Amino acid sequence: MNHNVVDQSKDITILELLDRVLNKGVILTGDIVISVADIDLVYLGVKLMLCSVETMEQLKLGKSVPEKL
Amino acid sequence: MNDLIYVYCISNRLPDLSLSKEHNDLKYIMHNNIFAVIKYVSENEFSDENLKKNLSDMDWLESRVREHIEVINLLMEQNTVIPFNFGSIFQSEINLKKFITDYTDSLIENFSHIEGKEEWAVKIYCNRKALCEQIDELSEDAAALEKQIMASSPGKAFLLKRKKTDLIENEMDRLCKVFGQKYYDTFRLLSDATYLNNILPQDVTERDDTMILNAAFLVKKTNVGDFKSTVEDLRKKDGNSGFVIETTGPWAPFSFINSKKNHNEP
Repeated sequence: MNHNVVDQSKDITILELLDRVLNKGVILTGDIVISVADIDLVYLGVKLMLCSVETMEQLKLGKSVPEKL
Repeated sequence: MNDLIYVYCISNRLPDLSLSKEHNDLKYIMHNNIFAVIKYVSENEFSDENLKKNLSDMDWLESRVREHIEVINLLMEQNTVIPFNFGSIFQSEINLKKFITDYTDSLIENFSHIEGKEEWAVKIYCNRKALCEQIDELSEDAAALEKQIMASSPGKAFLLKRKKTDLIENEMDRLCKVFGQKYYDTFRLLSDATYLNNILPQDVTERDDTMILNAAFLVKKTNVGDFKSTVEDLRKKDGNSGFVIETTGPWAPFSFINSKKNHNEP
C-alpha cells in the first residue's frame, strides 16, 4: 500500500470528491435498484455555500486517498 | 436491521478485505467470477426516501462520500475495480446477482478498457487579473495597440485606451480558449481516454479565478510519471500568465465506465 499518497490527500476538497462520485461509475437504473443518489453538483454547490466556513474546514480534515499534485 | 446492499465497486479478482481495518464491515459477493464489494446498510439511512433526506445533510453526505472513495481506493490498490456511483443500493443479494448476470459482457469490456490505468482529474482556472497584466506579452493585437497608444497624442491615446479595454476582454476570452485547448491536447496525448466535465461556476468553486476546463483523463500507470512531470513543466512555463492547473489523482476510473445490459437481454 502506498501510504505516502494517503498522507498527501488531506487537502482534497469535498467539491473535488463530489465531482468524481456523482453521476459517474456504474449508474444503476430500473427496478432492481431501490435507490441511487441522484443529485446535481451545481445544485449542491448552493448548499455547500450555506455551510459555515467552520464546517467546511472540519470537512476538509477527513481522509481520502488521491493526492493533489 | 441492515438488510439493504450498498455497492462500492466490483473487482475481477478476489478482494482482500482484511487489509481494511477502518472499514471492517465490508463484504464481497461473488457471481460469474465478478466480486462486488458491498456493505449491508439500514433502511433508516438508505431507503429511497431516507437517502433523499440524508443527501441534504452536508455532514452526512461528506462522511459517506469520503467513505465511498476510501473503500474504492483501497480496493484499487489491490485490483482493477469498476467504481459505482455514490449511493447505489440493492434491495437484495438476488437483485445484485441479477445485475451482474445482465451486465456481465459490459463489465468485462469495462475491465479490459481500464486495466492498468487510473483516472486523473485536471481543472484549469484563469486568474483574469494576472492574465490582464501579461496581456501585452500574450496578445499581438494588444501589444500593437499599446505601441500605437505610446506613439499617439494624449487625446488620441485616451480614445485608443478605451478601445484597448474592450480588446483586452475579448483577447482574454480568446486566450482562455487557446490555453484550455492547449492543456487539454497536451494531457490527451498522455492518456488513453478523456472526459469533459461541466465547468463549475464560481459560486460552486468559491474561488476568485474562473474555471476554464474540467476534464478527466484515463492514464496508463506507466504514463503517470510523464503526466505528473508535464503538469509541473506547464506550471513553470505558464505560471505567470494567470492559468492555474489543479490536478488530483489517482482516482478509480469513475468517468470512464460505460455500463450496458447484455446484448442478448430484452
